[in-house]
Amino acid sequence: MVAIETKGLTKLYGKTKALKGLDFTLNEGEIMVLLGPNGSGKTTLLLILATVLKPTSGTANVMGFDVVKHPTQVRQILGIAFQEARGFWRHKPMEILRFHATVCGVPKSKREALMEQILKDLELWDARGKLFMHLSGGQAKRLEVAKLLVQRPRLAIFDEPSSQVDLRGKRIIWDHIRKLRDDGSTVLVATNEVREAEYLADRITILDQGQNVVCQTVQRLKDSIAGGDIVELEVEAPKDNNIIEELSKIEGTYRVVASNENQLRAYVSMAEAWVPKMTNLCYQKNTRVLSVRVTEPSLDDVFLHFTGRVLGATTN
Amino acid sequence: MKSIIRLIWFDLKQELHPPVWIVMEWVVFAVQLGIYGALMSRLVTQMDDYLQFYAIGYVIMITFDIGSHTGRQFVEHAHEGRLPYLLSLPIPRWKLYLSVALQGGFELALLLIVPLFVTLSIIGNLTALSVTSAVATLFWLGFGVSGLMLALSFIAFRSADVYTAIVTALSTLIIRFSTVFYPLMFLPSSYANVAIFSPLTYGSDLVRLLLGFDPSVLVDPRIAVAVLTALAVGTLGLGSFLLRG
Repeated sequence: MVAIETKGLTKLYGKTKALKGLDFTLNEGEIMVLLGPNGSGKTTLLLILATVLKPTSGTANVMGFDVVKHPTQVRQILGIAFQEARGFWRHKPMEILRFHATVCGVPKSKREALMEQILKDLELWDARGKLFMHLSGGQAKRLEVAKLLVQRPRLAIFDEPSSQVDLRGKRIIWDHIRKLRDDGSTVLVATNEVREAEYLADRITILDQGQNVVCQTVQRLKDSIAGGDIVELEVEAPKDNNIIEELSKIEGTYRVVASNENQLRAYVSMAEAWVPKMTNLCYQKNTRVLSVRVTEPSLDDVFLHFTGRVLGATTN
Repeated sequence: MKSIIRLIWFDLKQELHPPVWIVMEWVVFAVQLGIYGALMSRLVTQMDDYLQFYAIGYVIMITFDIGSHTGRQFVEHAHEGRLPYLLSLPIPRWKLYLSVALQGGFELALLLIVPLFVTLSIIGNLTALSVTSAVATLFWLGFGVSGLMLALSFIAFRSADVYTAIVTALSTLIIRFSTVFYPLMFLPSSYANVAIFSPLTYGSDLVRLLLGFDPSVLVDPRIAVAVLTALAVGTLGLGSFLLRG
């Protein structure tokens, strides 16, 4: 079943087009990562889905409910962890979490135990009695994420869930997000962090300048770059001088170059399909393969390939 | 109803731990009434009971301040990021808006409890009906001012500076050009012509009428009721409409 579907979604801020007719689909039970640079429209999309903003035109449905016509039903289905954890300066984490859980209908019988567990898991237990204004940036961010982990909505939306969080904390948050998916929630994560996208995504949608550039699994995105996989071969001195030419004929080969007499570098699409064909060929040509090393393109490469720009750049 | 109470209490309990600012408002009221009000009542010889008139005027001013405070708080919450969070919660917009207005009402009740008690004690010789209806008028006025400020607060989403300028100018006009501290009949006609457009004129004169002041120096109570009702319903309705948009 489709959890989110947008058609021709457009949002204008004055003369600036944050979203330009975005078509986007998220299936139930998957983790979809929205990958894009700052200003690509990620947060605007999330705020429209959460019914905080209204689209200028186009439609957005969450679990079958139109976000404009049935906003209350939509809000009963989803929960959102905002990019900036702000707001209740004079409240304490435990109070904020309890308020959120209560308003979102978490049963009283489970609430306290669940809150304790999540606060301990996210290493916020010792800070539960501090005022929000005294939390560090990382603690405030973890508290923002904790709200959704306690709420456990059918659709969980995270806007840059691990920004400002240390490496150890990032891994803890990511594991919890994956567990949320495993427990039945559908998850939408917006990020510009490649490692986060790679760790979490079942599928990735690349957003650039308010448009959906491509949507695929991580593997397919990488495979879609012609010659994106690099296979480094070490072979015994080739008995067949035409081995480079022969290797170049294998389907999916972009080009093959010799680094030196024994080492070859092949730029291929889908190395997992190319390598068995290469070993067969070498066997037939009586050329012994000593080692094979495969390097996949990174998501940075993928982003560059599809948008012509590096991920760190800001959209203007 | 539970969700509205929950929203109100979540914020209000913070303001009561400890209730310093409320107590300070009471102290300011006592000082203002005991020194300034008492001195002014000696200087104003055309009225027998100016201290009472002044005390009610001050209560009306507190009511206006709390209404303004509610609007300002709404803007601050938007800028602090609290508003997007509240808007994302599974609560209908009208309940959210009502909770903001009601919170203003509760804050008003907390702030007014002592000044009103003191004022009523000074006036004395009152019936339960007159006191109840005067309190109801104050709350109705408070809702109206809150609604006005909440509706205006939407300007702040475009420009906080423009909002501040408008609210400051409006507050100055609404309080100064009104009958909060002086009866309409004693005002120069140029002032009086402006004062009849201030909602505080109708709020303060209606409260005074209900507490037994001479009707001849006050505005027509029927017009006062109509103006206050139109203000509360109109501005709260407008704010609710803007929030839905």
